[in-house]
Amino acid sequence: MDNVFDIKGLTFSYGTNEVIKGLDLSIKQGKVTTLIGANGCGKSTLFNLITKNLRPQSGEIRLEGKDISQVKLKDFARQVAIVHQYNTAPADISVEKLVAFGRTPYHGFGSLSNSEEDEEKIKRALEITNTEKLKDKAVAQLSGGQKQRVWIAMALAQDTKILFLDEPTTYLDIRYQLQILKLVRKLNEEYGMTVIMVLHDINQSLYYSDEIVAMKDGRITAQGKPEEIITSELIKNVYDVELGISAVNGKPFVLPV
Amino acid sequence: MMIKKKKVVLSYIITAVLLFALFLVAVNTGSLKITPKELFDGLFIKYNKTVATIYDLRFPRIFIAMIGGAAMAVSGVLLQAVMKNPLADPGIIGISSGASFTAVLITAFFPTLYFFTPLFAFIGGVVACLLVYSLSWRGGLSPLRIILVGVAVNAMFTGLMSAFNSGTGSTYSGAASIVNANITMKTWDDFQTLAIYSAVGLVLSLLVCSKCNLLALEDKTARSLGVNVNGTRLMISGIAVLLASISTAVIGPISFLGLIVPHIARLLVGSDHKRLIPYSMILGAFVFLLADTIGRTIASPYEISASVIMSVIGGPFFIILLRRSDKRHG
Repeated sequence: MDNVFDIKGLTFSYGTNEVIKGLDLSIKQGKVTTLIGANGCGKSTLFNLITKNLRPQSGEIRLEGKDISQVKLKDFARQVAIVHQYNTAPADISVEKLVAFGRTPYHGFGSLSNSEEDEEKIKRALEITNTEKLKDKAVAQLSGGQKQRVWIAMALAQDTKILFLDEPTTYLDIRYQLQILKLVRKLNEEYGMTVIMVLHDINQSLYYSDEIVAMKDGRITAQGKPEEIITSELIKNVYDVELGISAVNGKPFVLPV
Repeated sequence: MMIKKKKVVLSYIITAVLLFALFLVAVNTGSLKITPKELFDGLFIKYNKTVATIYDLRFPRIFIAMIGGAAMAVSGVLLQAVMKNPLADPGIIGISSGASFTAVLITAFFPTLYFFTPLFAFIGGVVACLLVYSLSWRGGLSPLRIILVGVAVNAMFTGLMSAFNSGTGSTYSGAASIVNANITMKTWDDFQTLAIYSAVGLVLSLLVCSKCNLLALEDKTARSLGVNVNGTRLMISGIAVLLASISTAVIGPISFLGLIVPHIARLLVGSDHKRLIPYSMILGAFVFLLADTIGRTIASPYEISASVIMSVIGGPFFIILLRRSDKRHG
């Protein structure tokens, strides 16, 4: 199995506070991988390092063999799409125009119109996320769940094989949370995308991911299939709480004892 | 609220027609009168003494008012995009006074470098802009802190300029006309200076309009689309300062134009910069020519400078915007 990301000896600190401490990690191609860990374990920092929002102090991150610090932002955006946790858009922008921003990495300086290929990719992104009916509406008028699908559509318009999602279900009702997670599965299974995300809800992580990466204190504590690695000891180690493990549809499920 | 395409098209057409009508009114404001037909004949077909006089005396200031208005309005739009702050205005935050201070120095001490005044004004504008950015930066640019620091920078440069002007007994009339933002005595030479530099700035502003749209997203999101956000900010700020400095070098510091025009423009054509920037040019030209024409007529035969008119109208407008943004930012 090929890896999309290979990370070796990664360190990062904010001032004197070392957050990532010599971390090694490989992320497999064609899988849904979820980063879990308690608050302050460094998962957001790791997310920002892999997505080129922060520069590592030492160590390297290779994307398909290439050191990402050597990859231009624009080229990176053609390989990797990222949906951040918090997003804002102008009050009067339409869904279609917002999704069209996803084509930015393919545009030259001062370009004003979309090519035929752009239009095609925008249409496809709207269809996949089931937002084509919303395309003429203002983003500001949409519900939280619809907005999140539109931001994902923008990322899909980038036409990448790799998608990062930073807590995509935060701020959403359970119904919309499930909608987004099902969409993630669909992107992976039907469109072959490699998805890497950070999720807050541990049970959703276990249910919807192929691969779990558990972090503690700036290092990887465990990595593997949910059903293989999740144990009470691991949960105790990562979150410092006593929780029982049962199974739902063959997937582990964590609940208070 | 989304803006309908029809409203956008209508706004463009109506404003353009109004600008043309205002142009004819401005041409006819003063002791010499002329009909549009006489004007057309006099300009393009055969010599007419009245038309020739108007051409030499009134045309330069009218065109200067229009181009200067367009430049200031677009400068406002760009600064607002860069700072994510609808209250940013090159006049209020001191860029214009920084530019006019250096322009005054050049006009007074190196009059032979006259054609390059806008370049020196640009340097002054850049210094003022850097001062405002660096002094108001605290892990981010808060809209109100920019305004506060900007007001102080503006006061400092305005003070320096007045001190210079008083200290030299206002003998340098060219310098004094910049200080007072007086465009009465402008000639075709002034027009040429303004037009050449402004054309560069305005064309550049059209090239960056999709970048301005991307800056409206969160910085991280713009980065994820492959945009170097800080570099883009720097480049767009540079164009904004260029536009403000050029018009300041010729017209003098104008406040509130870069604030009022983009605000009205957003209500009419929306926040998409591909529509907003070209429309702000037309509306800016209209508003400043209107201010100049009102200034010429309201107390005739005396003239009130267009910048004074802008301040009288713009001050209350700014207060209204400030109160509304207070509500939003808490």
